[in-house]
Amino acid sequence: MSLPDNIHTRLVECFQTVFPDITAEAIPSVSQASTPAWDSLAAITLVQVLEDEFSLVLDLDQVADMDSFDKVLGYLRGELQEA
Amino acid sequence: MTFTEALKTVQKIPRDAKPFEVVLVCGFTPLHLQTYVTAHLYSAMQNRAVKVAPGVYGNMATTLEGLAQCGAQAVAVALEWPDLDPRLGFREGSGWAADQVADALASAKTMLDRILAAMLHLPKGTRVVVSLPTLPFAPLFHTPGWQGAETELMLHQLISDFSVQVARAGMAVMNPRSLNETSAPGSRYDFKSDLRTGLPYTMAHADMMGAAFAHLIAPPSPKKAIITDLDNTLWHGIAGEVGPGAVEWDLASHHRLHGLYQMLLAALSQQGVLVGIASKNDPKIVNEAFLREDLLLSSSQVFPVEVHWNAKSGSVERILQTWNIAADSVIFVDDSPMELAEVATAHPGIHCIQFPAGDDAAGFAMLRQLRDLCGKERLSEDDALRLNSIREGAAFRQAASGSEAPETFLRDARAAVTFEFGTGHLDARALELVNKTNQFNLNGVRFSEADWQELVSAPGALVAVVSYEDKFGKLGRIAVLQGQCAGRTLNLRVWVMSCRAFARRIEHLCLRVLFDRFNVDNICFDFIGTPRNGPLQDFLVQVTGGHATSEKFTLPREAFLNTCPELHHKILEIDTDEPAR
Repeated sequence: MSLPDNIHTRLVECFQTVFPDITAEAIPSVSQASTPAWDSLAAITLVQVLEDEFSLVLDLDQVADMDSFDKVLGYLRGELQEA
Repeated sequence: MTFTEALKTVQKIPRDAKPFEVVLVCGFTPLHLQTYVTAHLYSAMQNRAVKVAPGVYGNMATTLEGLAQCGAQAVAVALEWPDLDPRLGFREGSGWAADQVADALASAKTMLDRILAAMLHLPKGTRVVVSLPTLPFAPLFHTPGWQGAETELMLHQLISDFSVQVARAGMAVMNPRSLNETSAPGSRYDFKSDLRTGLPYTMAHADMMGAAFAHLIAPPSPKKAIITDLDNTLWHGIAGEVGPGAVEWDLASHHRLHGLYQMLLAALSQQGVLVGIASKNDPKIVNEAFLREDLLLSSSQVFPVEVHWNAKSGSVERILQTWNIAADSVIFVDDSPMELAEVATAHPGIHCIQFPAGDDAAGFAMLRQLRDLCGKERLSEDDALRLNSIREGAAFRQAASGSEAPETFLRDARAAVTFEFGTGHLDARALELVNKTNQFNLNGVRFSEADWQELVSAPGALVAVVSYEDKFGKLGRIAVLQGQCAGRTLNLRVWVMSCRAFARRIEHLCLRVLFDRFNVDNICFDFIGTPRNGPLQDFLVQVTGGHATSEKFTLPREAFLNTCPELHHKILEIDTDEPAR
């Protein structure tokens, strides 16, 4: 099982893959509201990158609520710690 | 390739490289497919800034009609059933009643005609590739799924007719059978993703479609030649032990794989792939075996034949010299791992394949692999001439070396050279020669169809395609020159000549004809030295007196005439513009 801080690091890398113009330092504070590039297509792309990285199948309904880095991190910690 | 890998590959594409633009035309959300096409295409052409742009969502025909003036190098069309009529898919459409199904068939035909017409009007030189529907129909037919409904079969017939017309027009059609092997039909459709996001492909299917599109847009160079072993490869058995009459390759002896291999080599030879033999054997016994009437590969289809007891790497060396091609264009087939290793060590880059004697499944795979490695998009008249011209070239060199007076020999060769001058039209065969020639190549630059079209369409552009024959036989088309006149200078951008045509002073003749026809004082060469264009460099050193060291240099007419030897060719100049497709 991955450690929470490891999940954080891997999640930052996922966000950097989808949003290469945002620095690693700035990523933990991003949200859909504050990031114009985080549109519906980027959201789908992010879901796929997360599925690749964490070997998960994400439910598109749940994903709709994950509109910030913190929320995605919280969701992943819950899923991976339950596993 | 995972999606993340694809995304990271796309992000590596250098922005400052020469652009290679592709329009991806599909009726659905292209998102992941677009990423995968970009990633796979960039993997195949890493010197280009690959950019894949989507068309208009939901309207394939309109997108294609809007591309009539586009400047993209390639157009990739991912056709699916809803593009022909929304009722054939799941996202749109309002009914599957019998009359609506019949109406959908009629509208599908109309839409396919419109799509085909738009594809035929895409700009000349644009590489157009198309995939036929890959996803299942909506359940609109009256039959159970395991039975084909008449309407469904008619839709398939429409697609089949469409694909034949597309292929005849020179566009590339993705092979559905090949796709079936890489992307299982039952695992392609993502129903939920289609309804929620408009992307109907599963990630794995998007990956395979991206790879297949990249293969069609930037196909790998086909291998030019095969060198084969004999015992337990071309036939079953060791001819020296059982006798030439007892080696087998037929169905009754259960050694049909060897017969199929012979048939494939014969077909490939006819299609211009050179076939040579490297065998440790007794030449007399091999000759007797080749006299057998049931052999499916004729001795006339094979040249050269190296049969003796010395190392095979030496045989391969001599065969490559006779063919005058590099090892990386050649496949070596032998049943012995030791022989394969010996040849691979001596000839890095050669593609070694172990003949899987006694393993039919592996044999089946090998036959398909050979076809894939040697397969080419179109055949030309020159393909049929290639082996004979190599054979006659060897006779030419032998006769030339035996002559006490080379000048007399060249004068008596009765050489006739034809220059076909055209402007502006794509000549696929000329482009093929440009893209496969390494040794006598001015700069090694390769061109897509669109790049070439752009080059030859420029004001003042010229293209010359050169053919040759002499008393030893026809060499067919052996050289291509492309340039542009500016005042009294001709800028030569492309110059390739087949290695089959060396030592005949055709290169001198090419320059003399250019000086005379275009009445220029100078020819400026876009020369770039490459690891493989040594023969071209040697020629330039000769005609410039060693001054051809820079990447772009000018040869004045007087300087050329001072070094040009006597030319004995009969010259025919033809003005021609060939239609694109």
